[in-house]
Amino acid sequence: MQISKRMKVYSKKIKLSITAIAILFICNACFNDLDTVPIDPDEVTSEVVYDNPAAYRQVLAKVYAGLALSGQQGPSGQADIAGIDEGFGQYLRALWYHQEFPTEEAVVGWADQTIKDFHEQDWDANDVFISAFYSRIFYQIPLANEFLRETTDEKLSSRNVDENLKSEIQGYRAEVRFLRALSYWHALDHFRNVPFITEANEVGAFFPEQIEAKELFDYLVSELTEIMSELPPARMNEYGRTDQGAAWMLLAKLYLNAEVYTGESKYTECVEACNKVMEGGYTLEPEYQHLFLADNHVTNEFIFPIVFDGVNTRTWGGMTFIIRAGIGGNMPALESGVESGWGGTRTTSGLVNKFPSVVGTGGGGLIVSPAEGMEYPFVYIPGSYQGWDPADNTTILSSINDDGNYEGYVYFPEDGGQFKVTPEPSWAINYGDTDEDGIMEVNGRNIQVGEKGMYRVTFNINDLSYSLTKTEWGLIGSATSGGWDNDLDMEYDAEDGSFVIITALNTGDIKFRANDEWDIDFGDTGADALLDAGGENIKIERGGVYEIRLYLDHPDYTYSIASSSSDSRAIFYTDGQNLEIEDIGQFTEGYAVTKFKNVDRFGNSGSDIGFPDTDFPLFRLADTYLMYAEAVLRGGTGGDMNTALELVNRVVTRAYQEEAAAIPMSELNLDFILDERARELFWECHRRTDLVRFGQFTNGDYVWPWKGGVPEGRAVDSKFDVYPIPTSDITANPKLRQNSGY
Amino acid sequence: MKKLKESSFFILLCLCLSANFVYAQKDISGIIKDQVTGESLIGANVIIEGTGQGTSTDIDGKFSISNVPENANLIISYAGYADQIVSVANQSYFEITMSAGEILDEVVVIGYGTIKKDDATGAIQSVSAKDFNKGSISGAQELLAGKIAGVNITTNSGAPGDGAVIRIRGGSSLSASNDPLIVIDGVPIDNGGINGARNVLNFVNPSDIESFSVLKDASATAIYGSRASNGVILITTKKGSVTDKFRLGYTGNFAISNRIGEIDVFDANEFRALIGERFASDHPSQAILGSANTDWQDAIYETAFGHDHNVSLSGAIKDFLPYRASLGYTDKQGILLGDKFQRTTASLNLSPSFFSNTLQVNISSKAMFTNNTFADRGAIGSAVRFDPTQEILDSESEYGGYFTWVDATSGFPNSLAPTNPLALLNLKEDGSDVKRYITNATFDYRMPFLKALRANLNVGYDYAEGKGKTFIPANASFAFDSQNGGGTDNIYDQTKKNELLEFYLNYNKEIKSGTTLDLLAGYSWQHFFFEDSFRSSNLAGTPEQTVEGENSGELYLLSIYGRANLTLFDKLLLTGTLRRDASSRFSPDNRWGLFPAGAIAYKLVDNDKGTLNNLKVRLGYGITGQQEIGSYYVYQARYLSGFENAQYQFGDEFIQTLRPEGYDSDIKWEETTTYNLGLDFGILSNRISGSIDLYQRETKDLLNFIRVPAGTNLTNFIQTNIGNLENKGIEISLNTIPIQSKELTWEFNINMAANQNEITKLTATDDPSFLGVPTGFIAGGIGNTIQIHSVGQAASSFFVYEQVYDEEGIPVEGLFVDRNNDGVVNSSDLYHFENPAADITFGFYSNVAWKKFDLSFAGRANIGNYVYNNVASDQASYSGLFHPTLYLSNALSNIRETDFENPQYLSDHFIQEASFLRIDYISLSYQLSNVLKNIKDLRLSFTVQNPILITNYTGVDPELFSGIDNTIYPRTRSFVFGINANF
Repeated sequence: MQISKRMKVYSKKIKLSITAIAILFICNACFNDLDTVPIDPDEVTSEVVYDNPAAYRQVLAKVYAGLALSGQQGPSGQADIAGIDEGFGQYLRALWYHQEFPTEEAVVGWADQTIKDFHEQDWDANDVFISAFYSRIFYQIPLANEFLRETTDEKLSSRNVDENLKSEIQGYRAEVRFLRALSYWHALDHFRNVPFITEANEVGAFFPEQIEAKELFDYLVSELTEIMSELPPARMNEYGRTDQGAAWMLLAKLYLNAEVYTGESKYTECVEACNKVMEGGYTLEPEYQHLFLADNHVTNEFIFPIVFDGVNTRTWGGMTFIIRAGIGGNMPALESGVESGWGGTRTTSGLVNKFPSVVGTGGGGLIVSPAEGMEYPFVYIPGSYQGWDPADNTTILSSINDDGNYEGYVYFPEDGGQFKVTPEPSWAINYGDTDEDGIMEVNGRNIQVGEKGMYRVTFNINDLSYSLTKTEWGLIGSATSGGWDNDLDMEYDAEDGSFVIITALNTGDIKFRANDEWDIDFGDTGADALLDAGGENIKIERGGVYEIRLYLDHPDYTYSIASSSSDSRAIFYTDGQNLEIEDIGQFTEGYAVTKFKNVDRFGNSGSDIGFPDTDFPLFRLADTYLMYAEAVLRGGTGGDMNTALELVNRVVTRAYQEEAAAIPMSELNLDFILDERARELFWECHRRTDLVRFGQFTNGDYVWPWKGGVPEGRAVDSKFDVYPIPTSDITANPKLRQNSGY
Repeated sequence: MKKLKESSFFILLCLCLSANFVYAQKDISGIIKDQVTGESLIGANVIIEGTGQGTSTDIDGKFSISNVPENANLIISYAGYADQIVSVANQSYFEITMSAGEILDEVVVIGYGTIKKDDATGAIQSVSAKDFNKGSISGAQELLAGKIAGVNITTNSGAPGDGAVIRIRGGSSLSASNDPLIVIDGVPIDNGGINGARNVLNFVNPSDIESFSVLKDASATAIYGSRASNGVILITTKKGSVTDKFRLGYTGNFAISNRIGEIDVFDANEFRALIGERFASDHPSQAILGSANTDWQDAIYETAFGHDHNVSLSGAIKDFLPYRASLGYTDKQGILLGDKFQRTTASLNLSPSFFSNTLQVNISSKAMFTNNTFADRGAIGSAVRFDPTQEILDSESEYGGYFTWVDATSGFPNSLAPTNPLALLNLKEDGSDVKRYITNATFDYRMPFLKALRANLNVGYDYAEGKGKTFIPANASFAFDSQNGGGTDNIYDQTKKNELLEFYLNYNKEIKSGTTLDLLAGYSWQHFFFEDSFRSSNLAGTPEQTVEGENSGELYLLSIYGRANLTLFDKLLLTGTLRRDASSRFSPDNRWGLFPAGAIAYKLVDNDKGTLNNLKVRLGYGITGQQEIGSYYVYQARYLSGFENAQYQFGDEFIQTLRPEGYDSDIKWEETTTYNLGLDFGILSNRISGSIDLYQRETKDLLNFIRVPAGTNLTNFIQTNIGNLENKGIEISLNTIPIQSKELTWEFNINMAANQNEITKLTATDDPSFLGVPTGFIAGGIGNTIQIHSVGQAASSFFVYEQVYDEEGIPVEGLFVDRNNDGVVNSSDLYHFENPAADITFGFYSNVAWKKFDLSFAGRANIGNYVYNNVASDQASYSGLFHPTLYLSNALSNIRETDFENPQYLSDHFIQEASFLRIDYISLSYQLSNVLKNIKDLRLSFTVQNPILITNYTGVDPELFSGIDNTIYPRTRSFVFGINANF
């Protein structure tokens, strides 16, 4: 071995240092290393997070954001819940799926997992979307509980929180309790008997007890009552945050549906709660569409909105979903303020048919157009009313049977108007009636009529006899407010050359008749828009305000029906879309809905064309009005029918922008309310609850396209009135029992 | 003195044992030959036992050493041959013959040491350089593919430098990692990967690797305790040896790669005909049909070139400082246009000894620099979909001159339509730079006062850094934004720093002949740290469109471990292991886990000269743990800040939210109990040898990402300990030498493994109506899954509807079997149908050496693996051809077979058997000796990689770890010319 002395000197040092290093490391590395805490400044432990007083407001914001966002990163990332696509699992989107897809208000063409089961009403307890919504609700509740646990007096005092902040936090606590109650209401409404946890339950492994619907209902009522005084008065909190108005509204919702939840009705309490809401100083937004635009935060109608922002509050759920999923086909997405659509959601004829007319975008327009009649042999009828021009064939007398018997209607705008008859467009041969004996003679004197007006003129060229009958026209029938007994008078519109009436009609029949008698009346046999004397009744398919015109200048006589002042809520996109749905997978089948847009009331796009600024109206005043009326109709006391009618007509007349659209007391009934709720509140997450309350969600009396998975619609098992508790939770928590039928 | 092995480590060990020169000395010389062929062996090592002295044989196989004591023994070693020990005595000329193929005395690396293979008590298999896959290798894992029974390696794709999924005996976990622990030269590495890197193993240059040792059963892995549940792969890199003469080696290869297979879609004329047939002549689809004939799949791929060079230097400075240094450079193109992988590696290994060899130091340093250019893989799917009747370029297009489907009213790109694949490839710049350095030093000191005792200290440091950026110009249709200007300007980086300190004492004493006691006790401390950040933004850097984030975390692992090996009478082998591990992932109450293991082996036949040469039975039992889950702080109550784009508005103010995170304060180790029964044998002069292993692995308290009872936590899913999983299987390895003669040797190895995986428990309660946890996301729709983890089934079983077929065997669209006969077909009618894991896997390797030629091939076969053909399910329906927003999409030609109008994603029609046989390579090499001065030997080789694939699967490639075929980056066929020279 040839190791030098130098090496040996080193040797001891190295030996020593190795030993030293080893011992040092081992001790140093002692077991304290294992007590790590997060080193990322974005992540802090519960023990220190509240050292920063701003944290309380930030955690409060998270509880609110639980309704709008899917996680800590927008539009996706760091998801709150797992097991589902992050966008699908967003609270509002999940709520929307559960409230809208199973009803006539919405279908979706996507092939996502079990999404089609909603509209077919054949979901089961393993459904991933149901599980996602349930998870969302039961994410929100522990989130609220955590805040309440961390803000007890004890905890605040131990952290030396100053008194101002302390009292502010008291208010936060009430808001958080409201938000928890809101989610529990969603749990009650969709799932009935659910696990029950409060801030008393710490985070950890345990099995929550299942609460019965009745008990949960009572808890929610007492909880909301308890926090009422701690919440700011209605409209007195910051925009986006909750107040007494929202709490009363939630109570009203609970009471209105109490019978469904508990078997015991609470309509009087509902009326009272609605009154409390209405005392809050909310007002209806003058224009309906403005409620659903990018600047809808300026409205005074919202009681509780979910707030979105194109830059700061981004999600693939929420309003992004509601607007973008509803755009497809050849729809110009930019007109809705978004860069592109997702080609998913449309509506069925079940909703569309609740509106009087939906031709063209935005509603309104002709339902029946005047028809071109046949050509018949005719004679000219020059006169004072048209400047004595024998070549003018605007108004003529025609012989429909080509037997020399001519007939026509001539409007004389002045008293004492005169006319003659010529078979050719010249004066070469002309007939008058010199002796006023009812028989004309060649070159006879001008024939004179009496008062101005529309005259039916007949003329027989064989014996030159003629007749003049002044006619006053009216509209009659079951669809009119006069029924079959009294007709509604029509006005002559000289410019258009037609009789016209604008009136509200119900579903039913109409005819035209002259002079309040059945001597001259027109119906429309064959519904070809050509009038037939004594013909069949004309059908009015759905109620609404109509403009009806009668054209008598030229046979065949014809008429038009237009919805004059249309229901401004019928915001559908119809170009390239079929009303009826044969294949749910095709976006172009079913009308598209453009109620919600990411443009403001001046037409400017929102701050980002990917993510809307539009806020979602979870609670708004028009809903309160309709709830009030419904509660009164259902026997609630503390309110009255006149108020109910007035409130409902505020909603209706706003929709039509027309006082005439107001309904009479006779029409204010529960069926009207259910339909009106669809017209006013569609796509706003109310429909399933409404249909269940009216007993029409699963039964066969009321069906819509593809209800039960068949094109014509059918009844389904009543178990679908309530969603199943997801099997995944039944498996995770042995204390839960499944809802009946699943 | 016991017989010693070729391993330099052992040589070093023995060097330190004694060095007294009492006897007379003389000069000796000799020649070393192959026993069978009689050829002289060049470069064989001849060492005087117990000293550092020695030499290696020259070109003629000759050696000479001076001043050799008469009582000394010579140890002769040569790679691939059994060592020989010859006593010097009074001889001065030695003619020594060595026999190849002897595997009996092979030494295998085990945790914290080495062991003679025939003394091993656990299921351990090793692969050394001579068995490595030839050809253009860029990832270390490729060297192992098919070589070891029960080790399945599935490359992710045909992209250069891409990683692979490695599974040893199936997966023992569900949501925790199923990757094996990889230990390189004693440093357990972080398997997590680095942002921007294609493959965690890229940092090792494959040509630096000496051997792999795979520990499969718990009795072998338990010494790694908490990280050992999925097996351990020990990688040993090449080192210099004290006996080495200076040696300069070069290996290089040049490869040309082509794609194999393509997805069969309609060509332009067929597509025009199809549109004509499906739609009326006035339908808008007719107006947008183009007149070009573009084969998009041809257009996006290219022939890829690659070359790879490695230079190594090794030797020893003054018999005291053995060294090896290497430098490697790899430059590989991908077949997808623009895809590129460049890597430079450097390694340095120094292994000096001090104090009469009592202190042995080993310093090992590895560095890697890779530069990746990523081609957008979205182009692969787009090329399948894109309308073949359109031109690639459109001079009127505002979007970089590429044909683009635009919205008819706005002229903006149609965001629903497929993106022009060439625009994706050419307009997007996406690249990364990744660096990694791993250095460790071991100090092994044999106590002078107690020779049987040695202390070993291992300190290591692993630094990795990945940086990348993505840039897309504003005129690219796929980053279009009319409002903010569009484009993409993203950057990200990540740094990881891991430190290791290990210290152990080893007492190894032969108490009497044939009875040895080997005791080991140690301590290990490891610290993992990472930090990363990203910024994603549009081109203008608009604040509203910019998102920035940072993240960091650290983890400590602490262990105390011990092992006792007792060999009795050279027959009975006993091993006991105990490891106590702590992880900072778990709370103080749960963080310590105890992992015991024991094994017993008995040599029924030991080196017998008869027909049956060796027979050993092994029985092992052990418990191992798992703690490798994503988060570092899962047991703690924490709050997480939100990003700026996820704020909530109060009044006019946007509030950054703080979210309380879900946590499980009781989370603890997952435990896997393994039973292993093994048999090793050698017959016919060990020309047939092998082993058979039967095993059963039960994992309990699975670290499972599973639903919490609603309302009990601040999340709905949490990583917690629920569920049990079982794997059982059999493995057979057979190494044979069917022909062994002077000029011709044929070696053939084959292995077979069958593994059965079953989930035995998944939830707190056993409700039979619980279907399981859906997994396996597919393309088409959003959130659709095709697989499920269910109790009583294999993990990731397919979960589908049973398709109804008409009399002609054509699937009836939308018609599925109402399996529960309740009158409706809904999700209750889904059923479990097969799974992606193969029932049986085979690997085989053959080498024929004839004179100076070597012909070898290796391959694998999987039997009974199933694949969901997502390409077909998503793109073979008529409804996709024309979109009302006015664009066309191509479809798969087999649309004619199903005639589906709408996609039927969940139909079992698309679950296809995907058994296959693949030859990984065929290689022919020729050894040229003495052709040039200064070149000791020169080997030329020609290799075809991936030459043969036999399968009935109708998609492009049946080998998919996930079992979901969704336009894979095609694996390539490569022709590789290689040179290997030693100077």
